Amino acid sequence: MQKIAIETSGLTRRFGTQLAVNEVNLQVPEAAVYGFLGPNGAGKTTTIRMLLGLIRPNAGEVKLFGESFADNRLKLLQRVGALVETPSLYPHLTGRENLEVTRRLLGAKRELIDRALGIVKLTADAHRRVREYSLGMRQRLSLALALLNNPDLLILDEPANGLDPAGIHEMRDLIRRLASEFGITIFLSSHLLSEVEQVANHIGIIHQGKLLFQGTLAELQAERHEHLTVGVTQPDQAAKCLTAAGWQVQRGEDGLLNVAATTREAAASINSLLVGQRLDVFHIAQAQASLEDIFLNLTNNSAEQEAAR
Amino acid sequence: MIFFRVLHAEMLKLKRTLAFRMVFVAPVLVVTLIFFILYEKKEFKPDFDLWDAVLKIALNFWAVFMMPLLITLETALLSGLEHGEKQWKHILALPVTRKSVYLVKLLTVHMLILISMTLLIVLAICVGLVFIKIRPALANTGMPPWGWILKHSAYVWLASWLIMAIHTWISVRWASFAVTLGAGIAGTFFALFAASAKLGKFYPWLLPVNVFMDGRLKMALLIGIIGGIVATVLGCWDFVRRDVA
Repeated sequence: MQKIAIETSGLTRRFGTQLAVNEVNLQVPEAAVYGFLGPNGAGKTTTIRMLLGLIRPNAGEVKLFGESFADNRLKLLQRVGALVETPSLYPHLTGRENLEVTRRLLGAKRELIDRALGIVKLTADAHRRVREYSLGMRQRLSLALALLNNPDLLILDEPANGLDPAGIHEMRDLIRRLASEFGITIFLSSHLLSEVEQVANHIGIIHQGKLLFQGTLAELQAERHEHLTVGVTQPDQAAKCLTAAGWQVQRGEDGLLNVAATTREAAASINSLLVGQRLDVFHIAQAQASLEDIFLNLTNNSAEQEAAR
Repeated sequence: MIFFRVLHAEMLKLKRTLAFRMVFVAPVLVVTLIFFILYEKKEFKPDFDLWDAVLKIALNFWAVFMMPLLITLETALLSGLEHGEKQWKHILALPVTRKSVYLVKLLTVHMLILISMTLLIVLAICVGLVFIKIRPALANTGMPPWGWILKHSAYVWLASWLIMAIHTWISVRWASFAVTLGAGIAGTFFALFAASAKLGKFYPWLLPVNVFMDGRLKMALLIGIIGGIVATVLGCWDFVRRDVA
């Protein structure tokens, strides 16, 4: 049976009347890279803060490695490294001194500092004060702090936030390396699907505090549906015509029509129908919904359902 | 033990900070003031007690004005280290108890104030020795009254427990430097008005100076120590149950 690193049941948190996290049931397998996705304000950071005991849930429970977090906080945090939102560093201290502060708090061995600096490639800059560091270096140093106690679970909240493309690339490589070389379970939150799908093998999608999807990346990709995209000079007229003929049609943002059909025969008959109506067809192609589309569909559907209540 | 690990880390955080530098600046300011007061005095009567003058001015000025302001500044700066880049979320996601984090902050303030006060006494004695050398009228002054110094320094420190606990709580609770400094400055300046009132003996910011006033010593120590412990317990309770933003 697969071991579970993070398990939450009915995790709920309110801020006044606002329900920030609504009965979230997470299942993060050990050694997985779990991408926790959601738009800004979806409840990602609140969930992460509850996983780390920074805020208390109104209802529900957190279990790490099969043990209740509430009953074993200190013991479980020995196995966890975390980077929550922005880097939390002491700018007046050097990189090495920042690590030393955390090492003392952990009661860890001194050698671990060099190891952590090596992993994030900051050994050469460790003597410099943090106020002289670039944002990318600060983010890497924060990751080194999270790695210092040789954790089994790494919780990273928007680690690419504020980084330039080179910094994002560097961070992505680092996360991949941590998972493959050290076998650490990584729980990674982001609002960028494109970022997460490049490193994660498990995905959870949260929106308005509710977990809308949870599964492997392959399971999410299986939700992709193929369709035909049709380009017509008179799209409104064409949509009416196709709908009247029994096809399911959606207007795409690019002006093309998305028709729920996949075969060549379907493409040919749609073409004949439109041409027969004297509509000018300039494009017909098979297409697949991107993960971005699935993500947007899930979050938009959820928003519509919420509005309908 | 977790408490000592947290304390060990806190000591490193003080490196290159204004909080640490102020420990030395504050007593130097007080002693410089005393030096110029005595320097302006050209004649000394035969019954002039140099040690009484130097040490009483030093400790009174310290207790009524400089120490409350230093406590305000130190608590604001020490908590500012954690508020600055929201370090609370990093520290409290580590395997340490919140209680130990809070108590270490308070203990650090106590340590810095004690170091500063010790330095004040040493420098004040140095000033006294300088005047014994440069003013022939004071040549027959004896040794400093060590017993009095020790006893009254301890009283001032004990009576300040309450304001240290109050300021630690305020500075940890509110990230804004203005709130902490505002509370400290208001507390210290209201003390000037409260001093003449009957209720002044209960006013937290007056307790350290009340130890020098007739009939107010016991009350100052009682409120300082017991109030300090109660305020510490309440502040710690608030910190332990609070959400970390």
